[in-house]
Amino acid sequence: MILISFDIDGTLTVGDPPGILPMEMVRAVKEQGCLVGSCSDRPISAQRAIWASHDIEVDFTVSKHMLPDVKAEFAADVYYHIGDREDLDKRPALEAGFEFLWPHEAVDMPWVEGT
Amino acid sequence: MTENAPASMYRTDEGMGLWEHRGKVAAVGVGHSPTARRWDGRAETCVGAISLIALRRAIEDAGVDPAEIDGLVMDPVTTTGAYWPKGKPVPEEVTSAFNSTDNPLDGIAGLSAEWILKNMPELTGIDFTMYGPGCMSNAICVAAQAVGDGLARTCLVLKSWHNYEGRYYQGGANAGSDLPGTAALHALWGTPACYGTALQFAEYCRKYGKNHDMMAPFIENSRQNGLKFPEGYWASHRPEEITPEDYKAARWIAKPANLFDNDLPIMVSAAYLYTTAERARDMRQKPVYILNHAASNTRPRSLTPTLDEVEADTARTARKIYEGAGITAADLSFENMYDGFAQFHQFHIEGLGYRGMKFGEALDFYQTDISIHGPNPILPSGGNIGCGRSRFWMHTDCIQQIQERAGERQVTGVKPEVAVSGGPMPLGGRFTVWSATPD
Repeated sequence: MILISFDIDGTLTVGDPPGILPMEMVRAVKEQGCLVGSCSDRPISAQRAIWASHDIEVDFTVSKHMLPDVKAEFAADVYYHIGDREDLDKRPALEAGFEFLWPHEAVDMPWVEGT
Repeated sequence: MTENAPASMYRTDEGMGLWEHRGKVAAVGVGHSPTARRWDGRAETCVGAISLIALRRAIEDAGVDPAEIDGLVMDPVTTTGAYWPKGKPVPEEVTSAFNSTDNPLDGIAGLSAEWILKNMPELTGIDFTMYGPGCMSNAICVAAQAVGDGLARTCLVLKSWHNYEGRYYQGGANAGSDLPGTAALHALWGTPACYGTALQFAEYCRKYGKNHDMMAPFIENSRQNGLKFPEGYWASHRPEEITPEDYKAARWIAKPANLFDNDLPIMVSAAYLYTTAERARDMRQKPVYILNHAASNTRPRSLTPTLDEVEADTARTARKIYEGAGITAADLSFENMYDGFAQFHQFHIEGLGYRGMKFGEALDFYQTDISIHGPNPILPSGGNIGCGRSRFWMHTDCIQQIQERAGERQVTGVKPEVAVSGGPMPLGGRFTVWSATPD
């Protein structure tokens, strides 16, 4: 099982600023059986609204500092966090035991094939 | 060359009596620019360009012939933490789109009165310009005093903000290796900007037995009000509420201040048109009379004011506000004190004694109906938390509420007759009392 946490702003195309990862990618990854969700500074209610507006049922929506809670709640073989900030994405992801990917690295991952 | 307003233009002392121009100066027109999170590099969105939009909208709103305007008061500084990178070329396509001054970054990383006048040829009658540096709270005090003193009869007041890519407060001199004086302790080796307020808030909670979660209704209310402010950033771009659950789940910035206790830096400009009470009667909008302006120049004993110093000074400020306006706390229809950082709003309103509030009682008050539809509206503008970082939403809201054209945001639980707004910090703020009538 693969768990993938997406930052929103600067990472997803719906972010502010927009990132490079389209929502279709998230949808496809989810349909492949991955656990997916968002870890963002957006209010949790706003994260939920974004996913709902794109008709994507995610497994978690958490604030930026809550990756350890995600890892505690979900059993997976590997945990990824994808984000655009060294200080707010990469460092806390690594500290929480996640693999970290910049958005441009994420598009080359095998679980993105066919998206 | 435009000069900063002299200290004598601010009403800083207690015991000054009624303001000599009480009810003789009025705000009439309001103009706002569109907002943006950051500058996109285009000429038409630079801080100078959005300032021209705000000014022209204020003139149009007041229904005044631009040639009749004889004064301009503004703040030449358009940021507190977004600096033009050293060595970065000034974009020629931007500077060539405007009439420039000797400063190539004028209109891009700052704004002079001279730049405004060079780019608003319709302002043919300006013979008074002055800076009220710091924020709109300062500029409107200077404008009110200037109109009252007869230095200008019909005066524009302007405050603009720019924001660039990158992290706020982390560029410019802050990115270097040394800074003069005590600034190094804050900005260089420092703490997040909200640290001082967080420290005061922590002491407040300890002293009065309160906690951070009790701020949640205030934050929720502020954002709800802000989402009813069509000129605001959040209403325009990201109509997101902040629920109590959202607030309590946010990460700490400087515990006990979290992400949503802080505001979001944006690009924005606002302008007001001030004039004499007599002249205002013939303008397009209902006059909003200025009953007083007041200022705090109190310096803390150390780098960060203590809670005791904050409480003493907000109480002193309130006495100055009420004395000059000839009112009491009971006369306030609503309050619009500053909130960027959210955790000092309660210091302001406790100092005011708003609705009989005493020190230590604001967070309990937040648990009651503080909405625009109740009898005790708190920050109906939504402030910086509700609209983005500008330090002027509260002034615009006071004007629009009293003119009864605040739209969805209009207070309904009270009659909007007298209001107070101002800031920024509890120590060092500037404040205005607004009224539907001149007396």
